[in-house]
Amino acid sequence: MSVLTSTPTPPPQVPGAAAAVTAGGESRVPGSLRVIGRAFRTLWSNGKARIGLIIIALMVLVAIFAPLIANHSPTATTFQPYQNPNGSNWFGTTGNGQDVFSQMVYGARVSLLVGLVSGAVATIVAVTIGLIAGYRPGPVDEGLSFLTNLVLVIPGLPLMIILAAYLQSHSVWTIILVVAFTSWATGARVIRSQATTLRTRDFITSAQFSGERLHRVVFREILPNMTSLVAASFFAAATAAVMAEASLEFLGLGDPNTVSWGTILYYAQQQNSVLTGQWLLVFAPGLAIALLATAFTLVNFGVDALSNPRLREK
Amino acid sequence: MRYILRKVALFVITLWAAITLNFALPRLMPGSPVDAALAKIASTGQAITNTQRHAIEVQLGVPHSNVFSQYGQYWKNIFTLNFGRSYSFPTETVTHTIGKALPWTIVLVGSTTIIAFIVGTLLGVYAGWRRGKAGDSAVTIGATFFGAFPPFWLGLLLLYLLAFRFGVFPLKGGYNEGATPSLTWPFVRDAIVHSILPAATLAITTLSGWVFGMRNNMINTLGEDYVTFAEANGLRSRTVALLYAARNALLPNVTAFGLSLGAVVGGSVLVEGVFSYPGLGNLLYIAVSNHDFPLMQALFLVITVSMLVAIFIVDLLYVRLDPRVRR
Amino acid sequence: MKRRTPMLLCAAATTVALFGTAACSGSDVKSSSSAGSGTLTIQGDAGNPTLVENFNPFASTALHGQFLMYEPLEIPSPIDGTYTPFLATGYKFTNPTTLVYTLRPNVKWSDGQAFSANDVTFTFNLLKKFPALDTRGIWAQVASVSGAGNTFTVTFKQPNVPFAAQVAQVPIVAEHAWSSVADPVKYTDTKPVVTGPFTLDTFAPTQYKLKKNPNYWQADKVTPSEVAFPAQASNQATNQLDVTSGKFDWAYTFIPDVKNTYVNRDSAHNTYWFPPGGTIGLFLNLTKAPYDNVSFRKGVSESLNRTTIAQKAVNGYLDQASMSGLILPNLQKWLDPSIPNSGNITQSASQAQQDFAAAGYHLTGGKLIGSNGKQATMTIVMPGNFSDWVAAAKEVATELGQVGIKVSLDEPQYAQYSTATQGGTFDAAMGGFAGSGDPYTDFNNGLNSSFAAAVKTPTVNNFQRFKDPSVDQALGALAAATDPSAQRNATFALEQVMYNQVPVVLLYYGGSWGLFRDNHFTGWPSAQNPYTLPTNYTNAMLVVATRLQSAS
Repeated sequence: MSVLTSTPTPPPQVPGAAAAVTAGGESRVPGSLRVIGRAFRTLWSNGKARIGLIIIALMVLVAIFAPLIANHSPTATTFQPYQNPNGSNWFGTTGNGQDVFSQMVYGARVSLLVGLVSGAVATIVAVTIGLIAGYRPGPVDEGLSFLTNLVLVIPGLPLMIILAAYLQSHSVWTIILVVAFTSWATGARVIRSQATTLRTRDFITSAQFSGERLHRVVFREILPNMTSLVAASFFAAATAAVMAEASLEFLGLGDPNTVSWGTILYYAQQQNSVLTGQWLLVFAPGLAIALLATAFTLVNFGVDALSNPRLREK
Repeated sequence: MRYILRKVALFVITLWAAITLNFALPRLMPGSPVDAALAKIASTGQAITNTQRHAIEVQLGVPHSNVFSQYGQYWKNIFTLNFGRSYSFPTETVTHTIGKALPWTIVLVGSTTIIAFIVGTLLGVYAGWRRGKAGDSAVTIGATFFGAFPPFWLGLLLLYLLAFRFGVFPLKGGYNEGATPSLTWPFVRDAIVHSILPAATLAITTLSGWVFGMRNNMINTLGEDYVTFAEANGLRSRTVALLYAARNALLPNVTAFGLSLGAVVGGSVLVEGVFSYPGLGNLLYIAVSNHDFPLMQALFLVITVSMLVAIFIVDLLYVRLDPRVRR
Repeated sequence: MKRRTPMLLCAAATTVALFGTAACSGSDVKSSSSAGSGTLTIQGDAGNPTLVENFNPFASTALHGQFLMYEPLEIPSPIDGTYTPFLATGYKFTNPTTLVYTLRPNVKWSDGQAFSANDVTFTFNLLKKFPALDTRGIWAQVASVSGAGNTFTVTFKQPNVPFAAQVAQVPIVAEHAWSSVADPVKYTDTKPVVTGPFTLDTFAPTQYKLKKNPNYWQADKVTPSEVAFPAQASNQATNQLDVTSGKFDWAYTFIPDVKNTYVNRDSAHNTYWFPPGGTIGLFLNLTKAPYDNVSFRKGVSESLNRTTIAQKAVNGYLDQASMSGLILPNLQKWLDPSIPNSGNITQSASQAQQDFAAAGYHLTGGKLIGSNGKQATMTIVMPGNFSDWVAAAKEVATELGQVGIKVSLDEPQYAQYSTATQGGTFDAAMGGFAGSGDPYTDFNNGLNSSFAAAVKTPTVNNFQRFKDPSVDQALGALAAATDPSAQRNATFALEQVMYNQVPVVLLYYGGSWGLFRDNHFTGWPSAQNPYTLPTNYTNAMLVVATRLQSAS
């Protein structure tokens, strides 16, 4: 028996939770739904995760209803430039005469998209490679570890800069790809080393001896024991993606026509908003990025508790 | 022993592949350094002429040889530590340019990483041990908040607030204008003053990773049978936390340390850029934006090799720390 | 903006309690240079991340201080071409291919040796021997040079009177110092032997200083005893903040809202002058339809409100550009009086629709539809980090959208922009036109058909690929003309082509961003006294430095 399920805390819902996280579930849809519901309740019961969920939900709402919330077009250059906050331009205007508040509202769309999508892509890659490498010692492990190490040793940000330049199109999807491509390796390595440790544990060995298939052992026995690592991988990758997007755009390597928190910062730097006394142009987008990243991390605390009842708040 | 031999072999192959990739990647970039030089003139709105372009091409000595002979040259250069002359700094060798910047980055980034690792890991051990208590919440929430700041943004805020608005710290650079680097107390003090803001930015934003990693590991380890067993045997919980749990929980964090130490040079690109700090990170950004192949290659190489070595050492350490993988 | 109050936050700097005192005492070290009124502090080169000592006047990476040390024969003003003589006292064309300079007598090098015609001849031959040094392309035009006594004679391959401006500006080096240099291309010249007003004093990685040259031939005209060049940071925003601290007598940077951010910080002393230094235009690819149709180009030109574009692009610091191709008012004396309204085009939708109609395009349901039944489209390419070009292009896109053209913007890095424009694979591009101070050079670079290479064959000049035999003829006439009325006639013809055939849709003037403080020195170039551009990275520095007076 697993170390985890032997603890006398709530029913052993762990495998289902893992299915919810990795979408690797078998044909148990109603069960999965129930598990997701229970997982959500567990998350919600965690104070920190609740705050994170509320922040993310608010941002998602803002992103969805951006046209209703923003009182101007985010791209129209029709206002007097370098305006301080006033009745019409609540956060002031940029040097190009754009409304900053509207840009902040629409910017939520890009940051959320980049964070969630590249976080997911990076995690899927990391889990697949990490698990296979960790569970199959020998040539497979060596090959995959080799690949992982290779990606790891190339410095991340310069690699992103080069790729962003090379891919020419500077759309949001380019950034998502670049970020996902460069940020799976850390997760894969951590997952692999945990899998290596787990592989030699008794319960895995016994599962193997009882003739279970590889994917079953991996997904039913090993994965559940590292849900917190996988989740941590996802939220770390999502956080990194939000930051990387902001960094690339701040460097001017994003699409300058995209309205995102990163490009607001880029233009704030270009037009030196601090010099013109427009602190909000620097402060607001950075804070929004920080809030989103904080929210991801806070939810992470709750996710840890999902797979690891010991982490639950009392 | 076989494990170690295999690791060594792997290390060598990885080194080869990474170095070759380093060769290939910069060449996949569009544009040439000549364009970068011309961009400076063009930004004034002044028309550029063919004559200017040709003269700059000749001056920069842009390579026209084929890729294979460039690759051969590249390997020869690696073994002779000869990276030629950079396009951005054509009057000095790349080795010299990097040599000037290297100490600044080593001191700044190295020391802040080690500080962040030690402080973060200790805080993580504490938070994991005191899980659910007030101390845990204070540490985790504080670390979450600061860790979520984009480093360059925190840098900008500190720069604008403390350097520009209130003038407590210098705006830019690693030392005062007109000073010549030397190992004298006035210069060292000057350099420390200039390094406080970038160091604080890096330390504050990288602390959280260590805290969370360690806290999670601690909590997992504290629940393991042998810890529960030790506790049941009447050992004091502090002893359990530090002697049993922390040692094992440290394992994944050590893995991360090797990676982080190598990656940190690349990671500091933006922070060094914000503070115009005279280190490798700043240099790397300049090299990339100038399409400066020789400088880029050499910088990539320095970073790649240091990172590979770090990972290799961690792999060996790992064997010491967790005998199970020796099998 | 706000004054620096160094002590205020000392106690509050909690993160740095350990170094608190050191920080407070050591941080606000203003460069000691701005203390004495004898020191001229110029915002210097970009130290990336530290300066590399190089005063080789032919190197593209030479530090700007070399402009105050090496002198050329003469310096033409980049505004209107007026000459300020230095090592020559004057020049004349004895015929359209023979240019004779009279050299200044009694000039000494800073090491005490006498300057002579041999040095000038040596310098020009050095450029011939090492083409990498010949950034002005001298030997593409010049057949031979010779010096004798106090004259220096240049023989051109073919008539090229305006090229005298390039010959005049070659910095002259000492034969006795340079003849032993093995590789002048890589030479870093850290002990410059010069004729100019200053010599190298000290060099440190983030600042170098020049001191007054006691041997200088017009030493009485040099007021500063010392010039300090603190390095710029690689971060442009930081440099702007640095400028507002008031430590520079002469800075050069675009700065937003200059009255509030710079002048008002010390309105008694801070001044700025942002004269036009070039023209920013919309370059349409003349090898592609419909841009090869002059009526279509006219329609585009008339659809634009250039005042608004200049407002968006350069904060209204500069005006809309004249379609004469001349930078006004700099080159006012060359302006053809028959060109209406000085070549300034007024936006006119009706006029534009007429011209579009002549090109076969009609406004249908808000779209400009061509005879092929398709809407007119245009992709404008520009480097994404040239923020004023981007802002202008955005406004152009909006305004062309209103006349029914579907415009999209492409904002790659400079390298890709440069590949697209030089190779002629673009639709439309933002770009620079003119700015040399000399009509011939401007029109020749911009319109000479010999530059108009086939598509995919790169060219920097005339990348829109304009071809007109009458233009080449007028350029030839202008190159050979030595008398003013012939020069004017040829220039007028070129302006007419520019105005009527719209080879480039000129939009607004690019600025030269001079920021000055007059508490130490006065006599800076200004709108009232526009003797040169306020660029502190060109040989205009030499002209400025020999005109400054002490403020007290």
